Amino acid sequence: MNTSPNRRKQVNPVHFTSLVRWLVVALFCGSAGLFFVFIKNQQFALGEEIRQVERKIREVRAANEVLLARVTELSSRRVLQQRIADGFITVKPIPDIAIARLIPPTEASGDGVIRTAFNERLRQ
Amino acid sequence: MTRTARTRAGWACAAVGLVFTAYSARLIHLQVAKHDEYAQMAAQTHTMRQVIHARRGLIFDRNGELLASNLPVRTVVADGSHIKDPAAVARLAAPFLQMDETELTRRLTTDRKYVVIRRGVAEDTALELGRALQESSLRGLYFEQDAVRIYPNGHMLGHVLGFLDHEGSGVQGIELTMDRYLRGKDGYRYIERDRTGREIMLYRGQEEPADNGLNVRLTIDMNLQAIVEEEIETVYRDLKPETAVAVMVDPHTGEVLAMASRPCFDPNSPGAAEPEQMKNRAVIDMVEPGSTFKIVVAAGALNERKVDEKTLIFCENGRFAYGGRILRDHHGYGMMSVHDILVKSSNIGSAKMALMMGDDSFYEYVRRFGFGERSGIELPGEIPGLVHPPARWDNLTITRMPMGHALAVTPLQIVMGMSVIANGGDLMAPQVVRSVEDCDGRSVMEKPPRLVRNVVPNKTAGFVSNALAGVVGPQGTAKLASVAGYSVAGKTGTAQKVSPTGGYAPGKYVVSFVGYLPAEDPRFVCLVMIDDAKVSSSVNYGGTLAAPVFSRIGEKAARYLDLVPAMKAIPMDATPLALGSSAQERTN
Repeated sequence: MNTSPNRRKQVNPVHFTSLVRWLVVALFCGSAGLFFVFIKNQQFALGEEIRQVERKIREVRAANEVLLARVTELSSRRVLQQRIADGFITVKPIPDIAIARLIPPTEASGDGVIRTAFNERLRQ
Repeated sequence: MTRTARTRAGWACAAVGLVFTAYSARLIHLQVAKHDEYAQMAAQTHTMRQVIHARRGLIFDRNGELLASNLPVRTVVADGSHIKDPAAVARLAAPFLQMDETELTRRLTTDRKYVVIRRGVAEDTALELGRALQESSLRGLYFEQDAVRIYPNGHMLGHVLGFLDHEGSGVQGIELTMDRYLRGKDGYRYIERDRTGREIMLYRGQEEPADNGLNVRLTIDMNLQAIVEEEIETVYRDLKPETAVAVMVDPHTGEVLAMASRPCFDPNSPGAAEPEQMKNRAVIDMVEPGSTFKIVVAAGALNERKVDEKTLIFCENGRFAYGGRILRDHHGYGMMSVHDILVKSSNIGSAKMALMMGDDSFYEYVRRFGFGERSGIELPGEIPGLVHPPARWDNLTITRMPMGHALAVTPLQIVMGMSVIANGGDLMAPQVVRSVEDCDGRSVMEKPPRLVRNVVPNKTAGFVSNALAGVVGPQGTAKLASVAGYSVAGKTGTAQKVSPTGGYAPGKYVVSFVGYLPAEDPRFVCLVMIDDAKVSSSVNYGGTLAAPVFSRIGEKAARYLDLVPAMKAIPMDATPLALGSSAQERTN
């Protein structure tokens, strides 16, 4: 048994500065890792969102084009002529007042001359 | 440690070191030397090149009316490596795809990663099928964007527009000739997919957007086209000819305003059409033009000063012996001016004018009018016609060619030849394409009118034009071509049909009328040609069959173009019945 008065107390000093430094480094590394994972997840989630939005845009655009094609077909000359022939629609004469003319029409005066695109009845 | 133990430990360390060195070497070999190879293998497993389809350009008429458009559809493809239960997938998908379940199962049972199952699946159907697959937790079927071409006007203008093959390439018409503009360029992107086949956006790679096709604007006016189509359809239905053609052009620019042929087809379903229906007769059929060709000899003789306005030519009272054969006229005529020769359509007078000109000079004018060469119109399959050089003529050719025999021309060439007279002597290049535009309507390429050559001076053309106005007058052969309120000029043609076996087919005629309106300042030149109408020979003439069709087209077109009438209405006579039926006599 050591009874020397100069006996030094054997202790391991805690270097708080160093400990804190390493803790900060570890925390930083851990945070960076977690942040990396978080960012990666965010990227995947956003990517998935973009994919869904792109798909929706594609579908809407395609649906729009389908409808446009349908409108084009329904308003085509062939279909309109068929509808006129079937009596679903009728052609109404355009009042002369509603026609903007580059060439002024000539007055008809019972001379038998045809006046093109000139509707005497509606001109009154 | 003893020496032996140290030696053993040394060997053990060396062995371990060797193993690790070998592993390291292998790793370096894999990671460095074989990096590209294995990277490519890995990429092939997960990465795929996704095509971004370019939208094909649209086709418009000159007023912006849509003539050809695209309908989005889906192409259903299968990835065999993703399909675990082909029978289940087939059972689910067969009703949507309207396919036989057994056949579909057979096609889905594959290791191939890309199998086209069905093209042209409607968007709605594809969406429904996609949802059904998702709900059933089945995978392996994917939907690619695609489009089918639609032509809203059906058969109208079908020959000019053409159609596409199943790969989306133009096969005929404008779709073929303007394919390089309409097609566009597909884009692509490299993507990676997860094990469920979904794209991993994070790893989306190199991307090049699609370059959409350009729009093409035609010179065709669909309002005039509809008029022409309606009349030509009536002719085809009532007279039951083998073919019927109508072409309308602007003589000042050479722009084709309307072009219709019968029989015709619907470009929306080209598979249902016979090859004969798909021919654009205006550019790929050649016929003997008949008397419409007399304008060439008249203009040539006048321009070469072989005759003038006052020259009188003896027409041999209807029988002209030349080269050992008799050339006949419809009626016996005596002395006639050039004007009257055209109005009465004298074969003998025309032959004599050609004789005055001589072989070479006459041939030169035939070529100057554009006959015997391709016009260069933007339509595929155009033929040059058949005009033999004088070295290959026999001694009768010089008397037969002026009345439109012994040569073959296309209907388009006849119209362009008449346009020379209508516009004052210039041969314009016919064109059916006006411009190429981008999707915002900005012009990328304009096609201005192109003058091929000046054929005859204005004065000569004016004289011939004046005579052609007489053709439609009360004394002419084409009274029925007149349009009330307007001066019309034109020329009839009746030619016996050439038999494929040689010589002429008895009782078969190609009748035509080509004219313009108003005669003093033509807005359009129109040809109506009817091949082998099933009517009595006594009425099978250009003046009785084709001229009235021109009249109806002219009247409606004048209304549409809002032309100001210049003359009083001419009362219409009943249809005259012509006599005689020999090939020469009928050439009037």
